Amino acid sequence: MTATTAPVRGARARSAFSKRNVLPWVFLAPGLLLALVFKFLPMGKGVWLSFFKVRPFLGDHWVGLDNYTRVLTDHRFQEAIGHTLLLGLGQSLGAIAVGFALALLLEGQARSLKIVRTAVFLPVVTATAVVGEMWRLLYYPTSDGLINHGLGLLGLGPTQFLDNPDTALWATMVMSVWMLAPYNMVIILAGLAGVDRTLYEAAAMDGVSLWQRLRYVTLPAIRPALGIVLTLAAIRGLRVFTEVYVLTGGGPAGSTEVWMTRAYTLGFTRNDIGGASAASVVLLCVTLLLTVTVNYFRKRGDAR
Amino acid sequence: MGDRRRSRRPAATLAVAGLLFATAACGSGSDSAGSGDPNTLEVWTRSNPDPAATYERVFAAFTKKTGIKIDYQPVINFDQQLQSRASTKDLPDVMINDTALMGSYQSQGLLKRIDPADIAGGDQIDAKTWASTVGTDGSHYGIPYSRQAMTLMIRKDWRERLGLPQPRTWQDMLTLAKAFAGDDPDGDGRKNTYGMVVPGSAQNGYAAWWGASFLWQGGARIIEPTKDGGYRPVVDSAAAVRSVSWLKKNLFCTSDNAVIQPGALTAITGNATNFQDGNAGMYLTGPYNIATFDQALGKDKFEVVQAPAGPAGNDVLADGENIYFGARTGKTEQEQALAAFLVSPEGQRLAMTGKSQPVVRIPVNSTLDAATVHSDPRWGVVQKAYEDASVQFPNAPDFAPIKQDTADALNAIFTYCGSDVRAGLKELDDTLAGDLKDQDLLK
Amino acid sequence: MSAPAIDPVRAPVPTARTSNSAKAARATPARFDTALGWSDRPGVARCLRILLCAIAIGVFAVPFLTIVSGAFTTHASGSSLSFVPHDSTWQNFEVAGERGIWDYFTNSLVIAGGALLLQLAVSVLAAYALARHRFRGQALVLTLFMLTMMLPEEVIAIPLSLVLGHVPVVGLDLKGTAWGVILPLGAWGFSVMLLTEFMKDIPTEIEEAARLDGVGEFRMLWQVVLPLCKPALGVAGVLGFVMIWDQYLLPLIASKDPTDYTVTVALSILRTDPEVGSGVVLAGALIALVPSLIVYLLLQRSLVTGIAAGATKG
Repeated sequence: MTATTAPVRGARARSAFSKRNVLPWVFLAPGLLLALVFKFLPMGKGVWLSFFKVRPFLGDHWVGLDNYTRVLTDHRFQEAIGHTLLLGLGQSLGAIAVGFALALLLEGQARSLKIVRTAVFLPVVTATAVVGEMWRLLYYPTSDGLINHGLGLLGLGPTQFLDNPDTALWATMVMSVWMLAPYNMVIILAGLAGVDRTLYEAAAMDGVSLWQRLRYVTLPAIRPALGIVLTLAAIRGLRVFTEVYVLTGGGPAGSTEVWMTRAYTLGFTRNDIGGASAASVVLLCVTLLLTVTVNYFRKRGDAR
Repeated sequence: MGDRRRSRRPAATLAVAGLLFATAACGSGSDSAGSGDPNTLEVWTRSNPDPAATYERVFAAFTKKTGIKIDYQPVINFDQQLQSRASTKDLPDVMINDTALMGSYQSQGLLKRIDPADIAGGDQIDAKTWASTVGTDGSHYGIPYSRQAMTLMIRKDWRERLGLPQPRTWQDMLTLAKAFAGDDPDGDGRKNTYGMVVPGSAQNGYAAWWGASFLWQGGARIIEPTKDGGYRPVVDSAAAVRSVSWLKKNLFCTSDNAVIQPGALTAITGNATNFQDGNAGMYLTGPYNIATFDQALGKDKFEVVQAPAGPAGNDVLADGENIYFGARTGKTEQEQALAAFLVSPEGQRLAMTGKSQPVVRIPVNSTLDAATVHSDPRWGVVQKAYEDASVQFPNAPDFAPIKQDTADALNAIFTYCGSDVRAGLKELDDTLAGDLKDQDLLK
Repeated sequence: MSAPAIDPVRAPVPTARTSNSAKAARATPARFDTALGWSDRPGVARCLRILLCAIAIGVFAVPFLTIVSGAFTTHASGSSLSFVPHDSTWQNFEVAGERGIWDYFTNSLVIAGGALLLQLAVSVLAAYALARHRFRGQALVLTLFMLTMMLPEEVIAIPLSLVLGHVPVVGLDLKGTAWGVILPLGAWGFSVMLLTEFMKDIPTEIEEAARLDGVGEFRMLWQVVLPLCKPALGVAGVLGFVMIWDQYLLPLIASKDPTDYTVTVALSILRTDPEVGSGVVLAGALIALVPSLIVYLLLQRSLVTGIAAGATKG
């Protein structure tokens, strides 16, 4: 519109600044400005600090890649990699599976189903600190603890969920799945709502089994929803922190130590800001790589 | 059409945004007014609300006496907050916090040097106590304020019901713990009690804090000073192996797990509340808990005794609080006046009495006696433990990484019952050597 | 609902679908209404479904009763916890109150309210540009917003604390003000992407008709596009609120002193305080839970439909 009214002379030079080109940036300005000042600037500064021994009052001291080599060769960080991958992968896949099952179970229009859905969604709206506090009580390691009491009714002995290094990571994973599954459920439910009903009808006429119907009708139709769930999982799977911090603090014997709890200890207990920054930068790079990969496969899958 | 109007709207938006920033500026401006005032000191302590009330009383008395105002902040997550403030080079003027943190703060350059002669009445603090605030460079970086030593809290009513004596040795303590766990000391017919409370998590170094007393009692140390002003790790000594093995075998890796409270390996002091909840019989801990236990259990239900002796005596971990001056705050005179008041008999007495929890436990002022001022003989036990049988963590080096690594190692050794204690401690020794080397203190 | 567009087949008029889907569904037999073909008629399948629903509620909702029961029990501990309080008492709330939980609660409300408004406004504006305009660097901008979700807060805590102490160019000190928490929460990639996806599917005809009537850009956004985005705003509102309410490290580093803390920070402090038992922590937890619950119940209708409309499109 603007371009047509503009004089022909110099139109080319001015088109770059024409209203149509500037307008989107006006709308984007607040978001980009806030992100720049409060996200990217600190991130840049964090990358910068990762090359220093940080001592605000004595002057930072350039150490080059020392922080990185220190972090990457620290055996506790190396152990944390395994835990992070296992926990990140386990909680993501578990939450997707449980979320999918819940969605299949709770799909429908009935009022009672809506109530059940609302109730099941509760863990998502609860602060992680609260959830952690609750699960520490649920996991209470004697037969008086709620879960152990339940196990007792089934004739199973009390389990030291959090104090046993063989079970602590799994116990943490169960809590994470519990927190994340309802979130995924809602996204998958949304995907299910978009499935063309006539396909189900046609499938019924062809006399296919329930399993085939799920496999060949439902799954392809909810691919986009699953794609979203996967992307979110990639973004937050590896930066798992609060869940572990509030539940076990990384213990016992470091058996639930993940990358971020280690970085946190480095930064806030040992006052090693440079090392903590280096660890965080490593994590950020890996997350970025993972997200790009997931998105690449998503796009490729969709194009097919 | 509408082009001009459209172009005005973004301008209006920007104006609004600018206004918001301006409002924010006003908000912060009025907030920080106090810190610029030369006659106001910002003081931080690591305190919960109850002890904070005591501090408030003390500072009010100081302001009344000197006219210097105190902007007092009880900060609970002290070190996170301090990191954040340090990054903007805006430290509080005066901080009162753990003795063991001095080396850490000093190594970051957060503290002012202190000359004991500048503190009026500083000569009433004895030389041994002053010596604990000397940094690695030989200067003082803190002023002693309060001292304490760990003591053993025992459920007196339980012990008497079972007809057992106060424990004098590790073996006595173990026997008592087993009886508390197995012989139904509360008489309710259910097996729901535990021998002793252990905050055994590695988080924030709790396992090292609790375990230190047992290392001392076994004749072991974590690091020790060398003749040429450095330090060396000594945690793989035979004495250390013996002590840790004893703890592991008798407390953590027992057949029925009831000697210590369930969940001990992930317990921090915040959730190791079994003693005050009334289902555990013993707790080796600091005397500040006396007030909490008085309230939760009742004065008559528990007793405070010196820790039982191990193979090398009954030394316990001693610690306490120092007064620190934040670097570059430029109110030295006022800070010194506050410090002088805080260590004076009047200041110390105020902090030891009153309704809320005492913030001075064992006075550093040698003219005062703990049991008399607290008017409670139990504090005499604490004072005796502190004076006769206690060892502090070395305060001069940055002890934070050393404590954390020690806690990590102890927690791991206690967790894996099949592990080799000697190998675990050897590994810790190597790690600590690395920590000391990072600080250029390894000799 | 979050990520970049992946353009599956687009429904022609998707915004209309949500309201009509219920009616449309009635037309087909119920057993074609769900992926598993659940039937409304009594039978084994129905019994099984009711049983499974009961289990789902038991697993995901019933544990919350422990918070309620613990909050009203004098000496709550893991060994004595049940779904009903033994001795109803307000004592835990009184202790939590003495520890200033209500002040922190007020701080939280101010911060959550302000940050949510800012976040929604920022996201709506950005999403409008991303969805309804074509310009150079679009993909880059989207990636940048996505990057804001990837930064672990713990990573940028210390540098962010520097920035908050002295905001570049303007040189303000935001520490100790609510703005110190609100402004960093303004740009949240998730809600930008969610709203972008949603806005992309509003038919261009509506917009073009309005443009012919001479409607300006801001009025277009406010009066034409936004009303059509209500469900998506519901999603962004609920999840944004939860995200803001859950913040722990940011309020901590943005505070000048403990009076600036939020209820989530206070809760973590109560947890590590040996002087109070689990009961007080749970009382605090219950207090902290209520606002999220209210926001969720208020917005949950649009939450489910919003996610539905957003996700099916990609």
